[in-house]
Amino acid sequence: MNTIIQNILVFTALILAVMFIVKTYIWSPKKKKTKACGGDDNCGCH
Amino acid sequence: MQDTLAHLKRGEKGIITDVSSIHIPLKLLEMGCLPGNAVQLVQLAPFQDPMYLNINGTHLAIRKETASHILIEKTTHE
Amino acid sequence: MSKQINVALIGNPNTGKTSVFNALTGLNQKVGNYPGITVEKKEGICKLPRGVKAHIIDLPGTYSLNASSLDENVVIELLLNKNDKDFPDIAVVVSDVENLKRNLLLFTQIKDLEIPTLLVINMADRMSYKGISLDIDYLEEHLQTKIALISTRKNEGINNLKNLIANLKDLPIKPCLNASEIDQDYFDNLRKAFPNQLLYKLWLVITQDVNFGKTDRNEIGAVANFKTKSKADLKRLQQKETIKRYQFINNVLKKGQTIDISQAKDLRTKLDRILTHKVWGYTIFFVILLTIFQAIYDWSSIPMDFIDTVFASLSEWTKNMLPSGAFTNLLAEGIIPGLGGIVIFIPQIAFLFLFIAVLEESGYMSRVVFLMDRVMRRFGLSGKSVVPLISGTACAIPAIMATRNIESWKERLITILVTPFTTCSARLPVYLIIISLVIPEGRFLGLSYQALTLMLLYLIGFGTAVISAYILNKILKIKSKTFFVIEMPNYKLPMFKNVALTVIEKTKSFVFGAGKIILAISIVLWFLASYGPGEQFNNAETIVKAEYAPQNLNEEDLKQKIASHKLEHSFIGITGRAIEPAIRPLGYDWKIGIAIVSSFAAREVFVGTLATIYSVGSDDEATIKNRMAAEVNPILGGPLFTFASGISLLLFYAFAMQCMSTLAIVKRETNSWKWPVLQLVIMTAFAYIVALIAFQFLK
Repeated sequence: MNTIIQNILVFTALILAVMFIVKTYIWSPKKKKTKACGGDDNCGCH
Repeated sequence: MQDTLAHLKRGEKGIITDVSSIHIPLKLLEMGCLPGNAVQLVQLAPFQDPMYLNINGTHLAIRKETASHILIEKTTHE
Repeated sequence: MSKQINVALIGNPNTGKTSVFNALTGLNQKVGNYPGITVEKKEGICKLPRGVKAHIIDLPGTYSLNASSLDENVVIELLLNKNDKDFPDIAVVVSDVENLKRNLLLFTQIKDLEIPTLLVINMADRMSYKGISLDIDYLEEHLQTKIALISTRKNEGINNLKNLIANLKDLPIKPCLNASEIDQDYFDNLRKAFPNQLLYKLWLVITQDVNFGKTDRNEIGAVANFKTKSKADLKRLQQKETIKRYQFINNVLKKGQTIDISQAKDLRTKLDRILTHKVWGYTIFFVILLTIFQAIYDWSSIPMDFIDTVFASLSEWTKNMLPSGAFTNLLAEGIIPGLGGIVIFIPQIAFLFLFIAVLEESGYMSRVVFLMDRVMRRFGLSGKSVVPLISGTACAIPAIMATRNIESWKERLITILVTPFTTCSARLPVYLIIISLVIPEGRFLGLSYQALTLMLLYLIGFGTAVISAYILNKILKIKSKTFFVIEMPNYKLPMFKNVALTVIEKTKSFVFGAGKIILAISIVLWFLASYGPGEQFNNAETIVKAEYAPQNLNEEDLKQKIASHKLEHSFIGITGRAIEPAIRPLGYDWKIGIAIVSSFAAREVFVGTLATIYSVGSDDEATIKNRMAAEVNPILGGPLFTFASGISLLLFYAFAMQCMSTLAIVKRETNSWKWPVLQLVIMTAFAYIVALIAFQFLK
């Protein structure tokens, strides 16, 4: 009984951790399209 | 030939007479670098560049190249 | 019923705007980002008299509403977008009593937007010192506003300010001058074309590159096409507008402000003479840097040793107290050591942010920029690159964002590309633990060898950054105007509250930002190290017992052998040994290999990873450092962390690009994948080669 609970907890933790890593690095939520700065686009580089 | 800001020596003062707006960004004007305002060279960095100025009470530093586009009239030491 | 009003704090840089924000909100603040962009958004709550609650936004500092950077754009976008949920009910313009003239430029522009505007004159405590006196009634009348004269340093006038904010209905919303006089015909036409819109708003839309919310775009979109003037003409008009505003301000201040120069005491001149001196200036700068590194190393060692011990005994305690099982092991071997790996670096990171905050607050940083510009230009950088390079010692991400005020695109790009070479705080954990393992104790000229090594690593970081800048400057064919303006603010004694809040805020975001990732990775690593496929892992006990049966090992040794056999055949062991051939020439074993691979999520994961890997299966109360010191090189024998492999590892971390978040920021700031990919490939390849040479040479 005790072992089962412990194993369940471990796998829950693992799944949460993997989900968090995937969310942070691989699947990043689509951000609102905004004008980014780069090149001579007059953002701070006049 | 007229003096430009780049000709000022340390401690010398002048009055800005003209700025050639193509070479001078708006930001510098907004900081007070406008015709009629008084200017003083506070300090030169090592290698004589950039220049540390007091324009109209605002302390700022610009490069010599930019300073050479700002015409001034030297005033005597006070 | 309590109502909430939106308050926007607006002002020039260096006016103490953030002090006002801190005075109003105290600890009731949070720092986030504006959606989609990496501009810092500071907001907080302040209780005003009569039960009114104010939601206060500290907008990025700007000299005017003519935006020249992403940060400044945020200000205009908020002020022009009535539909934004943060659109201010009242604009509070913060000015500094010594630079009133310049500060008022922004004030007159905001008045033209017809938002209730309050003028805060900060640093009132310096008035007598500078011989300044103000006729508040006269100024209030002519500037069409209420004025709060305050001193955040002496904590004076804050209650009055709160009162004035609460009574925002009393504020006049009329503009204080008529700027359209600069070209009457043009503005008359504009007014006729768009009768329902505010004239100054139209003017800003025409001259600025503003992003609007959806609703606004429809009504205003047409304005952007109202181009009856060329770009050069518009710029000339903006110039005229600026002159016009200054004329008005000069007239008002002529009567409203008197400055008795004979009363003014000038500390600035004296300090500047020393701090920007061609010999003393550089000497002082170098001494300051040296002090910072000695402090980070020496002062923080006491709390760090303490934290290390606490976490080690916490692990031990968990194991003894909780019923044994997989989850207890996860806690004791995965989560607690993983957390320890991050908590231990709080003292150092706090110290680093403390020094950076003090340098910024005191006004010294601008002097460094001034002092370094000519030198940096030789390497294709700007004097302003010094700030990113120094704040890069905290974290490359804010450092790369700090390049935004570099005017020349080429100088800015080069700064972005080389900043990741500077030693960020995430490298610090790795450096510290390896230095303490491989560099002998002892002192040279009062500085410990270990501190000197650390100093050397920082210098290598800066040196590589500067040399690569030089090379990039020669290679990159980009034409852009070189231009440079920096304000030289007055020297100020840093305010304790501001510094403390910065340190708390930054440390918190380091711990929670990096901490979450480290925790997640240590859970995954623990799993990968504790489970494995096939016979070798699952029957480890039988196999090892059979193998060592003739030697008659005692219980303890046998347990150790089983644990290491299991680890070798776990998922992580299999992966690690697969990559081992690639890293063996650098002097690393597969465990370090795993740590390096997981470091690509965040460098500081390295220590946590090793802590997790080494603690799996071991149950003694050893600290991370002791475990690492006890590791044996599987081939050569002797300790794994020798001088040669240690130096090789240090150099690898000094040069490799191992931070996904930095790559993401570089992509965003340069608007192209080209630069981050180049950074990743070139830096990592260079790191590999240098580490290889170092190890082969030293071993």
